[in-house]
This record gives sequence, C-alpha cells and structure tokens, in this order.
Amino acid sequence: MADPPFYPSTPRWLRIFAIAVGAVALLLVVLVHGTSGPRHNIPFIGSLDHSATHAAQESDR
Amino acid sequence: MTMPPRLRKFTLTLHVTSSVGLLGAIAAFLALAVTALTSQNAQMMRAAYPAMQLIARFVVVPLGFASLLTGLIQSLGTPWGLFRHYWVLVKLLLTVFAVTVLLLKIELINYAARLATETPLPHADLRCTGIQLVVHAAGGLLVLLVPVVLSVYKPPGTTRYGWRKQFAQRPSV
Repeated sequence: MADPPFYPSTPRWLRIFAIAVGAVALLLVVLVHGTSGPRHNIPFIGSLDHSATHAAQESDR
Repeated sequence: MTMPPRLRKFTLTLHVTSSVGLLGAIAAFLALAVTALTSQNAQMMRAAYPAMQLIARFVVVPLGFASLLTGLIQSLGTPWGLFRHYWVLVKLLLTVFAVTVLLLKIELINYAARLATETPLPHADLRCTGIQLVVHAAGGLLVLLVPVVLSVYKPPGTTRYGWRKQFAQRPSV
C-alpha cells in the first residue's frame, strides 16, 4: 500500500477566521471588564433622564 | 451512510428553510428590540417586549433547533460528513454556540416581558435589559451570517480526519 500523502497545512481562511474570532472575544472581555468595575458607582444614565421618564410615565397613566 | 438524492434534496430544503428563517426571525426580534429601546412611547414598549418573547419562544428557538438538527442530518447523510471539512465543522460550532447563548438568554427575554407589564413602567430596568437584548440579537445575527457565507462559498480545507478518510477511500494503485 502506498504511503499517505502529506497533510496540507490549515487553510488560510480558517487562520484568518480564528484570528478574527480571537480579536472579537478579546474585545468583548475588555469591554465587559472595562465597563463592569467603576460603573457600579455611577448612576445609570437612563435614570438621569427624568424628563423623558416622567413624560413616558405620564403617558402610561 | 449516504442518503438517496430525493431525501437529500428534501433535508437540504428543510435545512435552508430553517436556517434562513432563523436569520429572518432574529432580524424581526432585533427590529422590535431597537424600537422598544429607542421609543418614548410606553404603549409601544408594553407591546414590543411581549411580542419579542413570543417570537423567541415560538419562532427563534424552534428554528434554531430545526437548523441544528437538519444540518446534522444533512452532513451525516452526505459525503461531506460532519468532521471532514473545516467549513462544515465551523458551521456546526457556530450554530451550537448561537443556540446555547439563545437558550441562556430566554430568561432575560421573559424578564423584559414581565417588566413591560408592570405599572408604572420601570424605564431604567427596561432600558438596561433592552440594551442587552439588542446587543445579543445583533451579535446572534452576525454569528449566524457566517454559516450562510460558508454554505455558499464552501471554502476548501479538509481536517486531518477527513484527509485520512479520503486517502483510505481511494483505491490503492
């Protein structure tokens, strides 16, 4: 029986895809960790918008 | 095991229908999520979140499972196989990932629908939940677009397993 031919290297599209996925995952980790820490001490920006909230509550009644 | 051509076409039709339908359902979900998040109209918010819950429960989740199941049948019943080609493997991993995240976020969707029924409307909580739903729906849409592209282009590249199988199936000279 003939020897099996050499296995070709990983396709280029897969390497690019893996790098893109890694970059997105890294970005997500940075965003989640970057926003979760100090933001606990800052009031949620939506709650500062009293006029919009009040107007919406009024229209709800 | 290879399926006969008629059955193969039938399962392919089911797979394409469920996969494209899933994309459309997530796009509709995203449209509602953005509308609910940006609207100042309380009635709109009260209507959008329960509608999103219905779409998620009765359209997105069933189509997600249908897409996964028909994809498995399609790959195992054709010479493409499940682990032979990188593009099939990447499609499988992305679909499993998307369906898993979807199932994990069902409780968040239910929570938003519950908040939307409260009086007075808890705007701050709804806004916080709405942002998460928009981000997840947009992310899901992007993730599920990749399998569509892979299915159309079918980029070359066999896995080591596929390479061995290919060689084993070749008649020895």
